[in-house]
Amino acid sequence: MDAASDKSSAQSTIDPITLEVIRHGLISITDQIDANITRTAFSPYIYEYKDFAVGIVTPDGHLMAQCKGGMPPFVADSVGTAVRDGLKVYGRERLHYGDVVVCNHAAVQGQHLNNTVMYTPIYAGPDREALIGFFAINVHWIDVAGAAPKSADIFDEGLQLRSIKLWSKGEPIEEVYRIIENNTRFPVDLLGDIESQLAGCLLGRDQTAALAERYGIPTFFSAVETILDQGEAAARARIRALPDGTYEAETFLDNDGDNDTPIPIRVKVVIAGDELTVDYTGLAPQQKGCVNSGYYGGGVTTARVAFKYLIMPNEPANEGIFRPLKLVLPEGTILSADPSAPMGNYSMPFPSVIDVVIRALGKAVPELATGGHFATHSGFRLHGRWPDGTPFNGHDSGHGGWGASARGDGAGPFRTMAHGDTRLIPLELQESILPIRIHEFTLRQDSAGAGRYRGGLGFRKVYDITADCLLQTNLDRTKHAPWGAAGGKDALPGRVTVFHKAGGDPVIMCKAKGYRLAAGDRVVLETGGGGGYGPPRERARTAVTRDLARGYISREAAARDYGFKD
Amino acid sequence: MSYVVAVDIGGTFTDLVAFDHDSQNVIYTKSPTTYGNFVDGILECFAKARVQPADATFLNHGTTLVINSLIQRRGARTALVTSKGFRDVLEIARGNRPDPFDLYYQRDEPLIPRELRFEVPERMDAKNEVITPLDTAALEALAAELKDLGVEAVGVFFMNSYLNPGHEEQAAETLRRLLPETYVTFSTELTREWYEYERSSTVAANAYVGPQVNTYIRRLESEMQGKGFDGSLFMMGSNGGLLSVDRTCRQPIGLVESGPIGGCIGAGAYAGALGFDNVVAFDMGGTTAKSALVENGRFSVESVYYVNGYVKGFPIKSPVIDIVEVGSGGGSIAWLDDQKRLHVGPQSAGSTPGPVCYGNGGTEPTITDANLILGRLNASRFLGGEMTLDIEAARRTLAEKIAEPLGYGGDEGLIRMADGIVSIATVIMAGAIRRVSVEHGLDPRDFVLFCYGGGGPLHARALAHELSIPTVVIPPEPGNFSAIGMLLADARLDLSKTFVGMLEGATVGEIQGQFAEMEYEAAAALAAEFGASEVTFEHHAEMRYRGQRHNIKVPVSGLADERAIRAAFEHDYKRRYGHADPKAAAEFQALHLSAFARQRRPDIARLPRAQASAGSEAKRPVYFGGAGGMVETRIYDRDGLAPGFTAAGPAVIEEYGSTTLVWPGDRFEIGPMREIRIQCGVK
Repeated sequence: MDAASDKSSAQSTIDPITLEVIRHGLISITDQIDANITRTAFSPYIYEYKDFAVGIVTPDGHLMAQCKGGMPPFVADSVGTAVRDGLKVYGRERLHYGDVVVCNHAAVQGQHLNNTVMYTPIYAGPDREALIGFFAINVHWIDVAGAAPKSADIFDEGLQLRSIKLWSKGEPIEEVYRIIENNTRFPVDLLGDIESQLAGCLLGRDQTAALAERYGIPTFFSAVETILDQGEAAARARIRALPDGTYEAETFLDNDGDNDTPIPIRVKVVIAGDELTVDYTGLAPQQKGCVNSGYYGGGVTTARVAFKYLIMPNEPANEGIFRPLKLVLPEGTILSADPSAPMGNYSMPFPSVIDVVIRALGKAVPELATGGHFATHSGFRLHGRWPDGTPFNGHDSGHGGWGASARGDGAGPFRTMAHGDTRLIPLELQESILPIRIHEFTLRQDSAGAGRYRGGLGFRKVYDITADCLLQTNLDRTKHAPWGAAGGKDALPGRVTVFHKAGGDPVIMCKAKGYRLAAGDRVVLETGGGGGYGPPRERARTAVTRDLARGYISREAAARDYGFKD
Repeated sequence: MSYVVAVDIGGTFTDLVAFDHDSQNVIYTKSPTTYGNFVDGILECFAKARVQPADATFLNHGTTLVINSLIQRRGARTALVTSKGFRDVLEIARGNRPDPFDLYYQRDEPLIPRELRFEVPERMDAKNEVITPLDTAALEALAAELKDLGVEAVGVFFMNSYLNPGHEEQAAETLRRLLPETYVTFSTELTREWYEYERSSTVAANAYVGPQVNTYIRRLESEMQGKGFDGSLFMMGSNGGLLSVDRTCRQPIGLVESGPIGGCIGAGAYAGALGFDNVVAFDMGGTTAKSALVENGRFSVESVYYVNGYVKGFPIKSPVIDIVEVGSGGGSIAWLDDQKRLHVGPQSAGSTPGPVCYGNGGTEPTITDANLILGRLNASRFLGGEMTLDIEAARRTLAEKIAEPLGYGGDEGLIRMADGIVSIATVIMAGAIRRVSVEHGLDPRDFVLFCYGGGGPLHARALAHELSIPTVVIPPEPGNFSAIGMLLADARLDLSKTFVGMLEGATVGEIQGQFAEMEYEAAAALAAEFGASEVTFEHHAEMRYRGQRHNIKVPVSGLADERAIRAAFEHDYKRRYGHADPKAAAEFQALHLSAFARQRRPDIARLPRAQASAGSEAKRPVYFGGAGGMVETRIYDRDGLAPGFTAAGPAVIEEYGSTTLVWPGDRFEIGPMREIRIQCGVK
């Protein structure tokens, strides 16, 4: 299908009923494969973090439909990018029925090498003569070797597979399996996940072909084109309603984990008629630490995620809705790094970048404005060995507050804007597998930014350590707090505090690797809140009283921020 | 006379079915649901049916009281008591955002606000050691405070109590003693499974609805007894079994899906009687459609249920039949968005104002309006002639709101859009059926489609086509089917327990010990509550490959060794996911025991009411889309069709409260239980 073909003829050849039936059909196929993968995968990245996406891509490599679940950064057509590279490498004529291709190449996807797209061409018709698209699934492979986060460049980060056939004409290529199996620390888990990814591709392929055959291939193409055009028209209508102008915002990341220099994130959003441009010219350059990403994997991805939050939150993701989005992104920035740059923690800047784009547009459109969110992955990991020598390794993370808006108080604690349906790990489970006892797990008083509407609260989690172990933490945005909007106050940033049993002053830290803890030590993880919205003095007295009664704010904060007296 | 009576309180009507074991007579009545005091509506039904409460030996009762109270937030003033440091577990929840791109996403407020959540010093660790004993002095002081605050209900939740409920029991006992007027419940009397948020959310919900359910049930009992009733009252549990009054009062959360369960039980009972192993039960009402699977006579029961849905709602750990629900019902509204894309539902005109054709002020075109325009409903005989439908109003509205804006003028355009609305609804409803089947690794084509509810029989044939299901069955009385199902329910009790261990010889022995304890507890409870002497059991283990996070529920009854359990696990795993790994280690996560005590059931063959009507010779044009357009179609009166009757489609079969559509090329016959069986013809 050619994107440049005549749009009006597409509109007239398909009736509105068949169109809706095909639209429901496409989304339900991706959602069903999504559910299958969630349940069959071996690795927690997939079933717990939903670190995957299922999509159907047009024959020229553009996203036609994607599952509703999955991680936000994947809405940006990570699957289409990989398919376009495959088309470039093989050409359509060498992508046969029964071929299965994998790609995790940094020069293509521009993310850490774990994110691996697998796809298979969909041929339909009585003799499978028509290529109608590709069924593609992006999955976070649990391990592809490499030394991230200590990597100096991408070659330190593991195996790169650039558009490699894993199956050819319905037969597995055992040599490629052997390469993969011998370049991972966890072959059983990885091969299990690949099996589930493969089963999803093949089942999705067959269901999509059946859908197209049922209504006829020309009708199917016509429906797809109309769906994309309607998505585009809906997005343009939304943008047209925004005031033209150039809007700027910025924040700073603490550092790249390598040396302690703030990293500027400066963004311009330009509204002109029915187009929205994200201008990343003011971004920091590529960093030595592994917090870089490529043009598609970083720049396009973050711009599209922010665009979806702002313009098209309810529209299914497809290429059409993103057509009115333009990107200005010079080479060599933190989001358009050279393919050789280290990318192990590529998504670290994403929550802040997305939030800054939202902040910029919020200056133009008060009803879209929100206070900043805590915006950091807040990694927290305890690892070591039990007395019998067996290892333990507990990955935990902070959930923090989200910003308030003209609609009301902020929500949370949630994970960041680069996360979605990611659930925290139950404390009872953690206590059963790690040498810890949780002393307290509460909402963090006074962590939210004050305002007519208050931000959401962060949490306070107190770990009592019951055996010697090592701590790794990765909190950012501690020096540039989540901002208030429209006169609202900033929120508190997050922090980690260690109280050693042996005595001495409490140790406050943000990023630490291999920090020694002993039985009896106490570690307090406090996460940031969300920024407030509107001047605090405009907050309803009943709301202040309620927040006091609930302990969301202290008496001192009530007096200081809201001028509250009994 | 010796009646067994089922009463189902729905949003609009209270339905009653009474079966007399002596005369084998069956009586159906309906009366408007009486908000304020539901008991009045029940007594009205008894009066209309001319059944003396004194003649009823059993009364089985289903109600939407619990789910309505939770969703409308009409429960008691409730406090939560937790271990020190954990009162916010209920509010923090799991920190996920199921709607990822909603910048303003908020979860529903917790049932119990922070100012009514209290902590007491107490702590067990993950090895079942007491770290901090329960501080009884603090608890006593708290009791006084709760009294001053006018709290009507208290839920108690402590960390790691799944391992040892001792502190929770002790705290509940103390609170009950000090606050005799207050409803007190604790998490481990509801579930022995781990995960603190899910347990605290469950006990919060149970406390929240406790006082209301207790008041309602005691009032029902006393008013019925006042009318001479001295039989047994049982409640319809979400697990698909009857619950005793005492258990319901302690665990009202067990009624959360009490309403729609009856139909599933009925579908299971008919499937058994008709010799079908596998049935898709499909129920379509005014606002939603629901689907559940019956496989070899059994339902799949899920152990977690989200009140108000997964996206915004909260979980309760309580066994609930696995029902998938979608927002498609007769009242679902067809509408165009600003890109002129046609949508059907999930908004519904409900029963008031209802579809445009009801003439009660409905202004938006609905699925029912579309069916009327297509000739599938009888404008003059709706609800047995109690209502006349305004077809002209339906046509006008559909033309103005949908057909003309989309450029479909005239009669033909109108018909095409009406058919389209039904087609889109069919795709959505078929999605619900696919979700309950395909995701469990089952192929809907291996099932019989069993349809009831007001709208089920009308859409059954199109659904069968969409899913390639060859056989459709419409039971007698599809409009009363939920109450019929309640007549056929057995007593059921579910117990569950977290049990973590590898699948190996030693743990298998341990599991048998655990199940034996659970069986003893369940049998004793059913004996006390139902006088049951014969109790049967089903055993399930939640299992997974080591390292996975999702469990599957494997039937393990009678499996005595590691190899047999391994085989059962791999069989189910493979069926569901298409592959299994014979080398990977497997582990247990939880044990579930279901205990059943059979109740005296009516003979299903006797349940259709006596046939009065003679056959009719009427015909009218009905639209069949791809299957022939507007076709002159024979209209049958279901009451006039005797078992053994058979005819070719197209046909419309009308009865009180429902209409069955048979396509051209199909054959239908009236079966031994007076069910309609449609053999779907070539597409």
